[in-house]
Amino acid sequence: MSLIHIQNLNKHFKVLNRREGIGGAFRDLFSGSYRTVKAVDDISFDIEAGEIVGYIGPNGAGKSTTIKMMTGILKPSGGVLQVNGLMPYNNRIKQAQIMGVVFGQRTQLWWDLPVIESFKILREIYKVDQKTFDEHMGMFNELVGLKALYSQQVRTLSLGQRMLCDIAASFLHNPQVVFLDEPTIGLDISVKAKIRSLIKTLNAQRNTTIILTTHDLGDVEALCHRIIIIDKGKILYDGDIKRVTALFGAYRTLKLQIDDYNDATIIALQDKLTDRFGTDNGSTIAQTEEFWTDVTFDQARTPLSDVLAVVMSNFKVSDVRVVEISMENVVQQVYDGALR
Amino acid sequence: MHSLLDYLRLYFIIEAQYIKARMQYRADFIISSIGMFFSSLATLGVFWIIFDSIPDLAGWTFMQLVFIYGFYMIAISPMQILFDHIWQIRFHVQQGTFLKYYFRPLNMMFYYMSEMFDIKGLTQLAAGVVILIYASLQLGLEWTLARIALLLLTLFSASLVQISITVMAGCAAFWVLDAYPVLGLAWKLREFAPYPMNIFDGAFRFAFTYIIPLGFVAFYPSQLFLQPQDVSPLMYFSPLVGIGLFALTYWVWTLGVNSYTGTGS
Repeated sequence: MSLIHIQNLNKHFKVLNRREGIGGAFRDLFSGSYRTVKAVDDISFDIEAGEIVGYIGPNGAGKSTTIKMMTGILKPSGGVLQVNGLMPYNNRIKQAQIMGVVFGQRTQLWWDLPVIESFKILREIYKVDQKTFDEHMGMFNELVGLKALYSQQVRTLSLGQRMLCDIAASFLHNPQVVFLDEPTIGLDISVKAKIRSLIKTLNAQRNTTIILTTHDLGDVEALCHRIIIIDKGKILYDGDIKRVTALFGAYRTLKLQIDDYNDATIIALQDKLTDRFGTDNGSTIAQTEEFWTDVTFDQARTPLSDVLAVVMSNFKVSDVRVVEISMENVVQQVYDGALR
Repeated sequence: MHSLLDYLRLYFIIEAQYIKARMQYRADFIISSIGMFFSSLATLGVFWIIFDSIPDLAGWTFMQLVFIYGFYMIAISPMQILFDHIWQIRFHVQQGTFLKYYFRPLNMMFYYMSEMFDIKGLTQLAAGVVILIYASLQLGLEWTLARIALLLLTLFSASLVQISITVMAGCAAFWVLDAYPVLGLAWKLREFAPYPMNIFDGAFRFAFTYIIPLGFVAFYPSQLFLQPQDVSPLMYFSPLVGIGLFALTYWVWTLGVNSYTGTGS
């Protein structure tokens, strides 16, 4: 039996249809009409012990709602949800003992206390015996140098240090499953790397199941074998990461600041690329922010240097940036049938 | 699962650390304690001024009111000391930080309230004890073991009433966007509690007895000691008011916790 079993799971919210203006708001007070929003719409999947699963999707896709159901905060509207054979919402305290959760950037450590005291309190809460406690603390110290932070108050830690402590703390009681929600958001590259290696090692050594929600495709690529993409409450893709990596791994977005930009520029650029690479070259052009023109292209078909050459020889460009493909873009590509 | 003893032990460990951390801000502690002490005495000053011009207030002497006030100060201290975190609940609920209280294998009200321990409330408690002893000596009250036990029981119940009124008002945060006015009102009303209920006219007295039972924070239980011969036997059941009210409050809290959906992240 799988550790997490989800079948035809739903979560519907009733939302007030707000009328416009002050008069409308006043009328809403007395007679509101409601519509149902399907935050999670009939999803099914199973997660086995020891897996690291990337649960990704754009904002408002239903990720957080699913996690909140799995952690026992929200009651499902329908369907089956079992973690270790039990329904989390009805068994919150029991389930909390076998789970670890790091939710966004809100720390769960004691704000005013030194780091080590937070760990000691957690030891009491989860009834971790001294031997296991020492063993785990030693391991955390080895992995990320936790000892150096022991005497610091949590409030004085940097965001990266705090995330490291929070993640380590979520593993202290040897949980069967750990939920990590956006663990690397807003962190610099070196801290991200530390966090990824911490997660990876803990998963390998403890066989802890990890469910990771993130906007950072780098996290997914570094950690997960399996990926579940959700959008508008429905699962778009559930399977091996390799097919997805093959898709977004090869895509890059070239951001250009073109002098004398006008409406014709995008068309002219598109024409030049078509001239050079043919019609089906996999590139898309869009203006996503002011002054910046984004060319998203497939490195496998059109190498960066070639694309750049076409751009440079035809346009006067004052600034260039290359970025990895965004989550929104991946989801768009999946919609467009990239994984079928 | 945790036993009651586990919870007690855990509470002790958390608060010991909390107090240690707080003590680093010594000036804050000293100044707020002094402030607490004098604001407690302010109401006593009001009594003094009133009794300067009248001999008694609806049949109550100055020293009897001092006794009621001492009782009141002790009764409101557990709320101040142990449940002070209720004031922050609207921030936690609005900003989504309330979610973390779901993630530990602990009773949520315990976990939530354990995050704050208001040390300056101890000053209030100490002042209340001194005032109560002083007044009872002046009044020549007789203390047998049974009466001391009754005093402790009624104080326990009275503090549950005060805790219930405030925590229930705080729970409004689960349903109302800004619960501050509700909590603020409950806090303001508390100031009526040390007065004899018979100075209020019918509607208010009814409200303070049956709707927001502030009368049970100090006045009604004090009667058991100030005029034991005149008191209705029903008053001996007043400790049940505190227990019943707290059960109701816990039910409202659970409803709120179960209906909370958090913010997006």
